[in-house]
Amino acid sequence: MTAKKIALVIGAGSVKCAAALGLWKVLEKENIAFDMIVGCSGGSIYAAAMAMGFSLQECIENTKKLWNRSITQQRNWRALASVLLPGVLNFNHQFSMMSDGPMLRSFQSVFGDKTFADTKIPLYIMATDFETGESISQHEGKLVDALRASVAIPFIWSAWQHNGRLLIDGAVSNPLPVDVPIREGIDIILAMGFQSPLPSRIKSVSRYAFYVNSLMTNNLLNANFAFHNAVHHAEIISIFPEFERSIRLFDTGQIPYVIEQGEKAMSHQLDYVKRLLET
Amino acid sequence: MKTEMQHENNSTIVSVSGNVDALTAPDLANAIVDQISQGHVNLVVNLIAVEFMSSAGLRTLLGGVKAARSHGGDLRLISTNPGIDKVLKMSGFHNIAKVFSSQDEAVASFG
Repeated sequence: MTAKKIALVIGAGSVKCAAALGLWKVLEKENIAFDMIVGCSGGSIYAAAMAMGFSLQECIENTKKLWNRSITQQRNWRALASVLLPGVLNFNHQFSMMSDGPMLRSFQSVFGDKTFADTKIPLYIMATDFETGESISQHEGKLVDALRASVAIPFIWSAWQHNGRLLIDGAVSNPLPVDVPIREGIDIILAMGFQSPLPSRIKSVSRYAFYVNSLMTNNLLNANFAFHNAVHHAEIISIFPEFERSIRLFDTGQIPYVIEQGEKAMSHQLDYVKRLLET
Repeated sequence: MKTEMQHENNSTIVSVSGNVDALTAPDLANAIVDQISQGHVNLVVNLIAVEFMSSAGLRTLLGGVKAARSHGGDLRLISTNPGIDKVLKMSGFHNIAKVFSSQDEAVASFG
């Protein structure tokens, strides 16, 4: 009997992606290890930390450093002004409301010059080719570059040049990238996905853009998920944690609760995963 | 997973309970194929007592929809469990198949 290969896919979902640490906690107790990890957007940060072999506690601490409100503290005033005077201030495709300096420093502090070759578990980080719209699974080069590209959320952070392509947020093309492990011949895919939240009130242009973007991302997630469920030869187990509380983009204070919900969602599927691995 | 068959008016109700996954979906597929081969092509699959549905279960339902339609009938679903309904919605079943919230409605839909 050939051992079944198992992959974890962490979809886009900002701080909610910390639920993947809860999922991992459950599997670690059972000595179930991943053969590959795929992350998209916010999920790429958790995927990278896990693939690097950090312990659960190190992952919690490091991901708090990597994804918190401080990375949005520096506004890109020149770019914001270019919205009002596009001709004079040369508005272009590199527009972003935030400067990426704090985010890059935070990524650098955890991953330094590490590359995909340094990971303990094969890692794929998703991005979108800005020029073609193609979904790109990054598997080579520096982790900081791949992460920076994967979280280049339109309007918030600018596109990022990596391995000869101009890249933006992976969620724009593939918010729950289960296609990557399918292509790599993985048997059991644990797909942890999150619907993008819709703002309850639309009180600014940015909220309006975010609202429409969320509608499109959620529909894209569903369409991709439906197609890949239909074509995979083996099993995709969807793990969608339920959050009774509202979790905002940078609610890092909610991480313990988010992890707990991930743990609960995984616990419900644990027996089945074990039986699948045994067959 | 358990399946129970019941014939009512112009349709056959396949009541499913438990988990529909890679280990159990082949049994559901066989049950559906058996009914179609016996000429029962108007199927209502009742998922109210289903606790978990994986991609293998979704593929089985999709196969059932295609098989029933290719024999001149249809496969319609009953789903009230929020967790199962979420997976059905995400997988597009509400767009390609008729999904009802009660057995009476589903059976009546076959006229």
